[in-house]
Amino acid sequence: MNDSTASGDDSSGNQAAPPPPKAIAKKKRNLPGMPDPDAEVIALSPKTLMATNRFVCEICKKGFQRDQNLQLHRRGHNLPWKLRQRSSTDAKKRVYVCPEPSCVHHDPSRALGDLTGIKKHFCRKHGEKKWKCDKCSKKYAVQSDWKAHSKICGTKEYKCDCGTLFNRKDSFITHRAFCDALAEETSKPPATVSPLSPPTAASSPPPPPPLPSEHEDSTQTDVVLPDNNNHVTEMLESVKPDSTSGRTLDETPVMTNLTSGSSSNGSSSSNVFASLFASSTSSGSFQSQTAGFSNLFQAIACSDPTPAVAPSSSSEPVALGLAVNQGSSIFGTAGPDHMQYPPAAPPPSLSATALLQKAAQMGAAASNTSLLRGLGIVSSSSSPSVSHDGASLAAGLGLGLACDSGSGLKELMLGTPSIFGPKRTTLDLLGLGMAATGGSTSGLSVLMNGGLDVPAATPFLGREFGGQDIR
Amino acid sequence: MKAEARGKNPSPTMSSMQNPSLFSNSRSSISGAVLTGCLSSLDGACIEKLLLHCGSALESNDVTLAQQVMWVLNNVASAVGDPNQRLASYFLRALVSRASRLCPATMSFKAAGIPHRRLMSVTELAGYVDLIPWHRFGFCASNNAILDAVRGFPKIHILDLSITHCMQWPTLIDALGKEPESPPVELRISVLSWRPPTPPLLNIPIEEVGQRLVNFARYRDVPFDFNVIEVGGPLDEEETIFSSSFYDFLLSQLNATMVKVNAEEALVVNIQNWLRYIPDEETSSSESSCDGIMSYRDSFLELVGRLSPCLMTVVDEDCDLGAQSGLTSRIVACFNYMWIPFDALETFLPKDSPQRIEYESDIGHKIENIVGYEGPQRIERLESGGKLCRRMAAMGFISVPFAEETVKEVKVLLDEHASGWGMKKDEDGMLVLTWKGHNAVYAGAWVPHDLTSHQNNLLV
Repeated sequence: MNDSTASGDDSSGNQAAPPPPKAIAKKKRNLPGMPDPDAEVIALSPKTLMATNRFVCEICKKGFQRDQNLQLHRRGHNLPWKLRQRSSTDAKKRVYVCPEPSCVHHDPSRALGDLTGIKKHFCRKHGEKKWKCDKCSKKYAVQSDWKAHSKICGTKEYKCDCGTLFNRKDSFITHRAFCDALAEETSKPPATVSPLSPPTAASSPPPPPPLPSEHEDSTQTDVVLPDNNNHVTEMLESVKPDSTSGRTLDETPVMTNLTSGSSSNGSSSSNVFASLFASSTSSGSFQSQTAGFSNLFQAIACSDPTPAVAPSSSSEPVALGLAVNQGSSIFGTAGPDHMQYPPAAPPPSLSATALLQKAAQMGAAASNTSLLRGLGIVSSSSSPSVSHDGASLAAGLGLGLACDSGSGLKELMLGTPSIFGPKRTTLDLLGLGMAATGGSTSGLSVLMNGGLDVPAATPFLGREFGGQDIR
Repeated sequence: MKAEARGKNPSPTMSSMQNPSLFSNSRSSISGAVLTGCLSSLDGACIEKLLLHCGSALESNDVTLAQQVMWVLNNVASAVGDPNQRLASYFLRALVSRASRLCPATMSFKAAGIPHRRLMSVTELAGYVDLIPWHRFGFCASNNAILDAVRGFPKIHILDLSITHCMQWPTLIDALGKEPESPPVELRISVLSWRPPTPPLLNIPIEEVGQRLVNFARYRDVPFDFNVIEVGGPLDEEETIFSSSFYDFLLSQLNATMVKVNAEEALVVNIQNWLRYIPDEETSSSESSCDGIMSYRDSFLELVGRLSPCLMTVVDEDCDLGAQSGLTSRIVACFNYMWIPFDALETFLPKDSPQRIEYESDIGHKIENIVGYEGPQRIERLESGGKLCRRMAAMGFISVPFAEETVKEVKVLLDEHASGWGMKKDEDGMLVLTWKGHNAVYAGAWVPHDLTSHQNNLLV
């Protein structure tokens, strides 16, 4: 896209803002507020505004939300007939401004004449959405809005025989076309159609009563077909097996094999890489300190939030089927490659590991090199305390640290855990065995220093720089 | 190097070492508080730049720099954060996957723990395509255009090339069922037995989907037939999708005989989110009828033209990620584009909604392909609407504008969805779905320019 940058900026802006109102031309109407220039402008604080009632008894000043309630109350005062009527000279017309300073209605010339209206406005625009619809999870700040919605929600609806409700016609039709309930209903089989109902009925727990074969929408289907899978199985038997299903069967064993590992990993980190960057060295895993990437991928192997799948009956093997097999080599040549995108990478001239080894042997770099500065993505709002955090970031990279990027650095490197939480044995990310605490004198020249304070390097602090050799 | 040795070791137990305070939602320590403050300044523009740098690092084989940027990205990305964070996590996966292939001796990213995507049932798919108007927009525009184009013809044959397993057709069948014509219009839909290996994935074969459509059409009293065009042979093997012989073969199957073109029928070719899987690299194709260099995509369009359809509808995603774009520009374009569905889902579903996670994971799958691969393995070669229009014109097609009724229908559809969705009609006659003003999906309709005589024959 040509405008990728522009939309990138837009996206950053759009994050914070609520969805903009529709850009369709609104009905032209006068600016709201101030029909009566003589009206008295009232400005109330939010609390007072919410507490103020629109209808107030002139006798005892009791407030009411509704006029009827006020009238009922007034009867109790036993007023003489004349005074029962509301006084014709009403109090001076009052208009109210919105207490929110940034709001357009904060301006007295845009005040709203109706107290209830300004209260609702304030809640809707500036208030917390406390009312939630049960059915569709839409949220409202004003109770009456919520009530009005609840009345509608699910009522303008289309109901499938299977019981699912839809509030849009096309989604209802699409669902209905494929729904089992329909299949059940129309399945009085002519010769050409493979019989759907009888075998399926046999498999469903309560046998369905004989269905009349009618075409109208009928609710006589007592039995909703059980889960699709039963139905599917039946269908598959009656459908000509094609090459795809044949293929699936071939692949199933492999896929199963691959996935069995993943299910046993069981890590539930919400981020794949958290474990990478934070994880420990349990005994065997760090013997090969060669490639940082291998750690990365182990972590990926171990945690993923997305749901697992049964690879049984797909007509396409899933490319995301990347399961780990703990017992065998993740990184080696395990099995035939059933990925959809079989890697075909040529061997690089210099591997990551070698690069890092080389860098680790280099001397300390200029202390003020900043990766992110160099990348030009320094955020202008970086805080002054950044330098310490920058150092910790460098530590996080497992890189050598610049000598003097901050006085706190040595502490950090020495593993003072006080600020940063409990000490952890952490992953040697890049497979560089950092020489114990002398790590401050070795390492790569590039380091994050003040560019981006991401002290998520936490896990690296207090790490044991076990003197594992770089191999 | 001991990489091979490492492979034999069990992977470390990660659970004890996961550090949630890496992310801004930690409040447990001072570092957590600082983290919140600094990470919040990393907005979409920052992430975009980080991705850009990572991409250029990978392009120049600077694995170290790439790793470092990835480390930062890792601290930003979160599968359960805001749309930018979620998107970033999929991008990071794809980049890591790609980077791993730079160092094949030490690792191969084959089976690294991302579980299989669950296959959906057909009713779940029906809900999936309606989660956001992403697909429904194209369905609605195309179906209306089709109905306009085939009016008056007693028989319709639709060649459906799409990735959504015929989710488009129930509404068309329903519309046909409503028309008070007697005798009713006969409809036939053909699909290929091959489908691009991309989500959404279904747990039943296409034949069964067709069977259900048959039932539905019977229920709506629409004479209906469904066939699967067997494009067997080399297409049975997965690997061959990356070879040119695959496309040669596929295109060779798209002729009047295989498609069973019937002179009595009005033929419609409906291409929905499918054209992008036909390579657009400029190579000489064995099928090209002219001496010039044509891509497979051009050849394909030419073949379609030769079938003389009375309408050809194309719906696809409005982004340029074609063969010629380099990694860095692709990453940036893809990030800015894929943000759109992520943001739309954010305004509509809660962070932990399984439907949302599935939808995002499918997009992540595409990102993995777009960012992680090059050459023939990169099957997602999106082309923007503008470029497609020029391509269609170059191949001799004439644009068919959408009727006002269609435009209204689409507007009504969008009104039923969240308020950020909009639509515009561009100068090429296409309709474009927009989200908060950004182009998302385009829909266009064309006819081959020498069609008129054919149409006259049919109407006699």
